[in-house]
Parts: sequence; C-alpha cells; structure tokens
Amino acid sequence: MDAGKMPRIVVPGDLLSEEPAKVGEGAYIEDGKVYASVYGVLDKKDRIRVIPLAGKYIPKRGDTVIGSVTEISFSNWILDIASPYEAYLHISEYPRRIEPGEMSKYIRVGDLIVATVLDVDWSMMVELTLRENQFKVLRGGRLLEISHTRVPRLIGRGGSMISMIKRESRCSIFVGQNGRVWLQGKPENMKLAAQAIEMVVREAHTPGLTNRVVEFLRANR
Amino acid sequence: MDDNDILTEIHRDQMYNLLQRKEREDGRAFDEYRKISIETGVFERAEGSAMVKIGDSMVAVGVKMQPGEPFPDTPDVGVIITNAELIPLASPTFEAGPPGEDAVELARVVDRGVRESGAIDLKKLCLVEGEKVWLIFIDIHILDHGGNLIDASALGAIAALLTTTIPNRRYGIAEEDEPLPVKDMPVSVTMIEFEGNLLVDPDYLEESVASAQLTVISNSDGSLSGIQKLGSGPMRVELVEEAVKLGIEKGKEIREEHLLPLMKTA
Amino acid sequence: MVDGVHTFFKDGLRLDGRRKDELRPIKIKAGVLKRADGSCYLEHGGNKIMAAVYGPREVHPRHLQHPTRAIVRYRYNMASFSVDERKRPGPDRRSVEISKISREAMESVVLKEQFPKTVVDVFIEVLQSDAGTRAAGINAAAVAMADAGIPMKGLVTACAAGKISGEVVLDLCKEEDNYGEADMPIAIVPRTGEITMIQMDGHMTFDEFREGLELALKGCRQIYELQREALIERYKSGVEGEE
Repeated sequence: MDAGKMPRIVVPGDLLSEEPAKVGEGAYIEDGKVYASVYGVLDKKDRIRVIPLAGKYIPKRGDTVIGSVTEISFSNWILDIASPYEAYLHISEYPRRIEPGEMSKYIRVGDLIVATVLDVDWSMMVELTLRENQFKVLRGGRLLEISHTRVPRLIGRGGSMISMIKRESRCSIFVGQNGRVWLQGKPENMKLAAQAIEMVVREAHTPGLTNRVVEFLRANR
Repeated sequence: MDDNDILTEIHRDQMYNLLQRKEREDGRAFDEYRKISIETGVFERAEGSAMVKIGDSMVAVGVKMQPGEPFPDTPDVGVIITNAELIPLASPTFEAGPPGEDAVELARVVDRGVRESGAIDLKKLCLVEGEKVWLIFIDIHILDHGGNLIDASALGAIAALLTTTIPNRRYGIAEEDEPLPVKDMPVSVTMIEFEGNLLVDPDYLEESVASAQLTVISNSDGSLSGIQKLGSGPMRVELVEEAVKLGIEKGKEIREEHLLPLMKTA
Repeated sequence: MVDGVHTFFKDGLRLDGRRKDELRPIKIKAGVLKRADGSCYLEHGGNKIMAAVYGPREVHPRHLQHPTRAIVRYRYNMASFSVDERKRPGPDRRSVEISKISREAMESVVLKEQFPKTVVDVFIEVLQSDAGTRAAGINAAAVAMADAGIPMKGLVTACAAGKISGEVVLDLCKEEDNYGEADMPIAIVPRTGEITMIQMDGHMTFDEFREGLELALKGCRQIYELQREALIERYKSGVEGEE
C-alpha cells in the first residue's frame, strides 16, 4: 500500500474483471464477471477484493475483540462489541471455574475486556471465550474507537505499523478487530499514541504513511 | 408481498413448475382475468356505489358527494378525495388503524386513474367560484383479499361513478337530482412478473410470490393515465414496455365487457 | 392540465434554456454528516436534499426483525420550509407513497443476507423542493448507502421524464411540473440496466411513454457518473474528514 501509487477507489457495481477470478471480501461474481459490492479500495494482489472504506464490524470466528459488558443474564455476560450484534460470554468460558452467583465479582457490568470470538452461528449468535488470552479487565488506560475498516492498516504488514507506534510512543497498545483500541502508558505518551493512530485512520490509503507517522512521533516526543 | 417466507418458497417452487408447462394454479392463461362481477347501486345511502368481485377478491366502493370549499389554488374546480381501507376482516394480514402504506398507495393509484383520465369534468362541479364546489369522496373498502385489490378497487370506483347521482335536492342546489357526467372509463390492469413472464390479474398466492408488479391505467382511446410499479424486484426495460402494451389491450377488453354496459343503463 | 397562457418552448428551448433532453445542474457530495453511518447532500436544479443512512443496526421493535436478512426502511420527508406554502410537519399521504416506492427502488440491490436481523435505515430530508424530489432522494440515498459501507450489487439511479405542451422532455422543473401533462419518474440499477421503480401520473400515449422512458434512461446514465464521482472525490486525496 505504501508503494507510492494512489489506490483505485471503487463503488458498488463497478466492473473489476471481465473474466472469472478468485474473489475475496467486497466483490462478487455474476455471469462470469467480477463486480465490487462495497465502496472501497481495490486490491488485486492475490484474490480480487475490495477493502471497505466504511461499514459495521461483523464478528468472525477467531477475531479478538474488546467488548464492554452491558448485562449479566443467567450464566452469560452480554457484551457490546461495537457491532450490530451483541456477544455472549458464557460462564464456562471464563479461565477458571466459577459459580453463576459470583459472576459480577470477576467481571462487572461496565467492564472492558479482551475476548476471542469462539463462534458465530447462522442466526448471528456471537459466542466469546476468554480461554485464548491472558485474561484481564482493562483498567487505567484509554479506549479509542476507530472504524474497524482501518484496523488492518493500523496493524500493518506483520504488525509493522503498530509495533512502530508502540515503540515510538512508549505505550502498550492493543488493537481489537472490532475497531476498539486500548492504550496504556503515561498520559502524555498515550496522547501521542492516540494522535498517531488518528493520523493512520485519516490517511489510511495514502502512500508514504508509515514514514509520516514515524516523523510525527519523533518530532512530538 | 411476502408473508410467511417458508410457505412463500414452497408456493414459488410450485408456481415455477407450473409455469414451465405454461400453466397457472387455477388453470388460467397468462393474460386471463378471473371471473369479474360488478353490481352497482348496492348501498342506498351513497350517491353512487359498486360491489366488485374479481375471483376471490371483493371490494365495496361508495361515492359520497357534498358541497364544500374548493382548494385555494383552484377556486373554480370540484374536488376528488379517494381513500382506501384495508379492514381487518378482509385478511389476517390487515391490521386495524389508520391507512398504512399499502392502503395509501392503492388509494392514490386509483385516484390517479380517475383524475388523469379526465373522466370527471371537475370544472362542471363548480357551484360558486371560490366558495362552493362539489366534493366527491371515493371510499374503497376491501372486504376480501384474494389478490389484485388495485384492479378491483379501480373498477369499483369507475363503476360507482358511472352510476352516481348528484344529490342536488338534499343540499338545495337544484330542484332535481341528476346523474354525474362521466366522460371516460379508465381501466386499471395489474400484472406480476414471474421468471420473465407477465401474469395478468394475480391472485393472492401469485401476488405473495412475485417480487415485481406493474399496474397500467388506460383510457378509452388507448392513452395512459397512470403506471405504477410495486415491489422491489427489478424488471427489464423491454418487459416493462411489453407490460404497458398488454395493459392497454386488456383494459380495452374489460372496458367493453364490463363498463360499457353500465354506461348504457346510467 | 395545460394553462393556455403559458408557453414552455421558445426557439426550441425550455423556460430555463434547456433542450428537451437536458438535465438541470446537479451537485453531489458524499460523507457530509458526522453522526450518520453514511450521508449525502445533493442539489438538482432547485432541489436541496440531505440523505442519511444508519446501519446495519439492531431493529427496534424486535418483532420487525427478519431472521435471515436485513430489512430496509426508507423515510422520505419534506421540511415545512421546503415549499412555498408551509407544509405541516409529519408524513402526509404523498410522503407515505414516495417512501414506499423509494424503498422498493433500493431494496433489491442491498446484499441483505450478509446482515440478518438488522435494519438499514435511510432518511431523506427535502430541504428545498423544485420538482423531481423523489428521484433526487433516491440518488442521494444510493450515495449515502455506499458511503455507509452497505454492501450492494450496484448503485441505484433515478430520473424523471415528463410532458409539457405536448412534448416529451427530460427532468421537469417546478414551473413545468405545475402545468405539465405527465410526470414519469423511473429508477434503474445502472450495472444491470434493470428498472426498480416506474410511475406515470398524467396523460401519455404509448409512444410518448416509450419516448419518455428512453429519455429518462439516458438521464439516469448521466446521473450515475455523478454519483460515482462524488464517492471517488470523497477519498481522492485519501484524506478523511474535514474539508
């Protein structure tokens, strides 16, 4: 993406290929031709796909997300994961065995946690689990909410962009697939990191971004 | 246009199979109407009325007239107000309450046909310019939803108008009542699109399965007073043109068979 | 209803100097509102339209939810100050009909199966009215939906043909519409060329209907280019947000 070339923006219905090809997200095949289904940036590197510029986060199995607890109901914590769909964390998915009566002792309504999407069924019932990460409730830091469409750019190839921002801002940063970002560090460092992240979000599809972000961070440290 | 999705799917498959053999569930041809019956003068308190049946659909239309104020920007012209009620007794899918979007659309489409065809010369309905004109209320009550309520309602409206008597005496306008002068007979023809075919006069099942429906309102001279596409299914341009042509043709047939006789007796 | 006093053609040109197959000037801007998930501001002749899209989002009340796909809701509304004589706030019968047919014009392109149990809410506000508002609303709605990232087979474009002084023309302005003999708005999916909305109100022969249809289709193709441009412009410099 930083190849110095302006990306091609496409809109739904744009013809992407006259011949059938392998398609990924944001594109569909009809009558042997490939068309865009979302407003976004065309990517033909491997499959033909369109990286959306906007849209809601739809959870997929394996995603790691940051959720906020909105309710405790029977044996489930119910979480808002910045999606049209809410998510359920069943008591059995807590790393230790606990009783239903004690649930709010460990995770309360209003808490922010990191969880992994265990499964999404056909009716969009989203199940989370804590067993895949080092579980903790997020406290004493800052939460940013960005469009989930910018998460891949923020992470960068092999994590390059986010590692660089962590390093240069001296913050610990966790990026959820659902567009929620958790910062932890000294207040002035978190502020710097937040500004750098906002810059990435704004200029996600421009060339030369990584260098500009590095320059910004170094100039403002 | 869709009630219960699973049943709709089953019906859609059935219809598809029948279509392959060029058949409809009730054995009609693609361009054939169900049995139409029109009875006029059924409601004595109305100035004009009609009871229309098309297949299993039954619609009652009443025309009431009374003097009233003209619209400010058209002071010398009568007023037509059309309303439709999809009352709960007509179908398990109708709810009580003010007209929903289907009722509003139906009324407006029927109104368009009557108004744009010039069937009623509104200028003749002026009593005192700027102060008093005849108001014509066309009220459509759906009694049984067997599909294609628009055509039944439109037929009922024009049949009722053709047999309407202006209540001059009741309102002290004149010594004698007189028939409402009706100059044209617009006819509404509705068809659905299914797998690229046009099926005229859809019944309840056909309507619930179709994703696109077209209503064509035409006049005695073959000109058009209204077109309305219903439903979200896309239609090819050529098919739309074909449908409009078919609508004009079938309109002529219906006019000759069912409305002309009314004019003779009116 | 033709007013004998008005003449609508002079030397082959219309009141506003247009030829019979010419559109009024159109300006489209995508992404103008902050709270909405997608938005579009559109001017077409004297029409000023604001479109906002929220969704996909949870449906309230719950019973309106569909288990396997998203539903689409469309609310066309005219602001009280949008017309010469103040319009009482709230939906009138005309707005109810327009909302219904506009929703039907747009629904089929949305890839609804990707978002079961949710709703895509489209809001169209006519801030200034100059004939052809329903078509303008649909054009703005399509851009706002794309701007919101709603997956669609393609955009939807709308345009109206009409008849004045016995001539079939494209895109009536308000004066023409007041005295015109017919008004025929249509909407198509330019990607497939199929019609998703067609209405005719007035008096036309079959041949005039076909002429009007052809003119409206040509108009749609031009407007489609403007819709695409508006979306591409929004990210031309790759910079989001303030302008």
